[in-house]
Amino acid sequence: MRTPKRWAKRPVRLVLLLAAMTVAALPAASHVTAQTTPTDGLVCTTSATGQFDLTTKTGNILLPDGNRSFMWGYSAGTNDFQHPSPVLCVDQGDTVTVVLNNTLDVPVSIMFPGQDDVMADGAPSQPEFSGTGELTSLTKPAAPGGGTVSYSFVANNPGTFLYQSGTDPAIQVRMGLFGALVVRPSQGAQFGNHRADSEFNPDEEVMVLLSEIDPYLNEAVQRGTAYDLADYQPRYWLINGRGFPDSIAANNASWLPNQPYGAMAVVHPVDPDNPLDKPGIGRYLNVGTTAFPFHPHGNNGIAIARDGKVLEGTGGEDLSFERFSINLGPGQTWDVLFRWFDAEGYDEVLNEVSVNIPDPQNLFYGEFYSGSPYLGTQGTIPVGAPNANACGEYYIISHNHALFQITSWGVPMTGPITYLRIDPPLPNDCGN
Amino acid sequence: MEQQTPPGISRRGFIRSVGGATMAIAGAGLTGGGLLNVLRPESVSAQAGDPYDLWFAGTDGWMSLPASPAIPPFHPDDLAPDPFNTYIFGFRNLTGLNKNRAENQKFKAAHPAPMFWLEENVPFHLRLGNLGLQLRPDLTDAHTLHWHGFRNVIPFFDGEPSGSVSVPIGREFTYVYVGRDPGTYMFHCHVEDVEHVQMGMTGLVFIRPAQDGNTALYPSGKYLYNDGDGSTGFDREFGLFLSEMWAESHWADSHVQLPEWSDYHVDFALLNGRTYPDTLEPNGSIDPFNPVRQNNGDLIAPAGRPDLQYQPMSALVTCNAGDRVALRFANLGFIESSMTLAGIPMKVVGKDAGLLRGRDGTDQTITTHTVAMGAGESRDVLFTAPPHSGGAGYDTYLLYNRAYARGSGNLGATLGGQSTEIRVYPPGMLGAQAHPNDLQN
Repeated sequence: MRTPKRWAKRPVRLVLLLAAMTVAALPAASHVTAQTTPTDGLVCTTSATGQFDLTTKTGNILLPDGNRSFMWGYSAGTNDFQHPSPVLCVDQGDTVTVVLNNTLDVPVSIMFPGQDDVMADGAPSQPEFSGTGELTSLTKPAAPGGGTVSYSFVANNPGTFLYQSGTDPAIQVRMGLFGALVVRPSQGAQFGNHRADSEFNPDEEVMVLLSEIDPYLNEAVQRGTAYDLADYQPRYWLINGRGFPDSIAANNASWLPNQPYGAMAVVHPVDPDNPLDKPGIGRYLNVGTTAFPFHPHGNNGIAIARDGKVLEGTGGEDLSFERFSINLGPGQTWDVLFRWFDAEGYDEVLNEVSVNIPDPQNLFYGEFYSGSPYLGTQGTIPVGAPNANACGEYYIISHNHALFQITSWGVPMTGPITYLRIDPPLPNDCGN
Repeated sequence: MEQQTPPGISRRGFIRSVGGATMAIAGAGLTGGGLLNVLRPESVSAQAGDPYDLWFAGTDGWMSLPASPAIPPFHPDDLAPDPFNTYIFGFRNLTGLNKNRAENQKFKAAHPAPMFWLEENVPFHLRLGNLGLQLRPDLTDAHTLHWHGFRNVIPFFDGEPSGSVSVPIGREFTYVYVGRDPGTYMFHCHVEDVEHVQMGMTGLVFIRPAQDGNTALYPSGKYLYNDGDGSTGFDREFGLFLSEMWAESHWADSHVQLPEWSDYHVDFALLNGRTYPDTLEPNGSIDPFNPVRQNNGDLIAPAGRPDLQYQPMSALVTCNAGDRVALRFANLGFIESSMTLAGIPMKVVGKDAGLLRGRDGTDQTITTHTVAMGAGESRDVLFTAPPHSGGAGYDTYLLYNRAYARGSGNLGATLGGQSTEIRVYPPGMLGAQAHPNDLQN
């Protein structure tokens, strides 16, 4: 059964969002120097020379309750402010140089947790102390108003890492001075690490960068007023710098000019019997100050690396494990292989669900529901019910399960929520 | 009271024979979700004739938590009827009830939801109804049953309302599960889940492995996983479900208010829906497949504790010396819990319904005295009951959330609410369990 979609009257913003989700890729915005800017999935900022010029910028981000929050960030080259800061992708063995240009009126630095032997302006990166012995920065900072520092290291360990300010981190990291660093192994960009069983489908590589905001801190920084860090209490929680539903909008969505990274994972069902049908990979990072238990529905992940370290024994024993909750401690990262297939192989003709499907009038239909249990099939949508399903695709949610954190200062069901979009096997009518 | 399942008829046969009863409530309107067309409520909805293994329904009700010291103005709730003090949403087990008795369970929610289980590879049908919210007729929320952690589910049976369907007041939907992956899981309503989970629509579910019945690997023939070597065999099993209650949010729902969720904190940390020492009180009727109820279908309170009528699940663990005991933990609080067992080592054999083994078979089990679990995580744990100290009584070991300050249950300087006891009896004193969490004491 196939009926025309009936678009409902919805707020313009949501319609735009849905259009961006389901239609062709938007033109790449100019504010990240990415090799490719796919509609969905990880957006890498790369450098042929291994040098990245990062400049501090200030700007505002849009939050799900309609508020805007003043933020700081690192931007690549001369790009506008973006949040979070660019995803730096490098290859294992690269000598990586990050030149920080500080435009803020406070000293700023960059730490690279998980990287060894980091150099700052040619000397080993070390904490800095004042003349009276007080810790002033975890590494050499760039002076306010145009100071620069050049950090360098050899990216020896493949995996997922954070980079973040090492100066007043309780303020500066929370203001947005952080980003992700992906080190690709020498085995190839389709591997998570050196192990053969870490291979993934490069079209299904996603980032899950979780963060939090106390708007009073950001307001105080913007206005230059006092703020007592003992009062810190997050009111917003974000995924890739956005809250739901912005989180499922495309990369570089036009109405989120400073929040370029979407969080929806767009995949095809894998064939569980075909070893060549590789899983996707989720790169999870927690830049907040509490643990975030992230739960992908119906889609267990195999955690293959933690904090950029492969989960294996000294003899190569496999210490990966499968989870339905990816619980990230503060500052922690996980590399997680995931795949989805219909375990029962339900089919509209050959293998129907073993229950009578109630009349649409006897159920509430979700706006992403196709109207049919079967992948690739669209059923009748009740007249007037808002619906955004394009081609019978599935949407399966992923979200932080500390449920009070999927709110935005009073607006429930926002925050760090995204979806796994499962498109029907090719050929399909989904335009991809 | 009466046994509602007639003797001599198999459970599933009986359920199928009464499965045609409908829950459709005449005149119930679908008043949300943008349904603008003329409604066509059916006197017997198509699904009502489907066979089912269990029949649950969502509704609201009252339960009881330590009343003193008070948390004014939120706790005890001034609207609560004696002997209760906390407003909840919850699931009730309607399995086997007729239409009138089923409808009479509105405003009689329980917490946690009934623990249930199924066998690997055997299709399981769970019928879900929605009785509405008696105290909040303004809330016309649908309900769903989301099986948290079920692998490779299709959205139709996932219970997440945006990508799927949800069950309006007076309607029914049957979820079908074919359990392919043994282990311990949890389930909850996913509609407005910040609220519905916190309000109590949560419970524990597990899948028994196909290896069950093989007595060559472990004498009982009961296992947590298809381990192939008997390493997860056990003699007794206990589900331990962790949840939390923030008094303000419960008061807010009963008083038509909205809480500010970022202010969330744990006032009460619960084990099987109770705080210590109520966790030690006996079970009500907790075998979901053989429910014993009052004539009107209502729950029977545990002996001597009318205030625990809607918290029927004991968290006491009882065993004979030498028994191997399985503890199935599932945490649907919003905060990490850290369960410490004083005096008996625990072996963690499963996490998130997965045997702790690498893809190459590498053993990843952990022996510990403390099991930390984040929100939405589960653990399968085994311990061997130590020798008995002598005499006829039991030896007592404490199992408690090491994060005392969280959810003290207002017990001051003593253990927190998320605490219970493991009682070890002399060898052979306790009979075999009739069902999980059967105390036999």
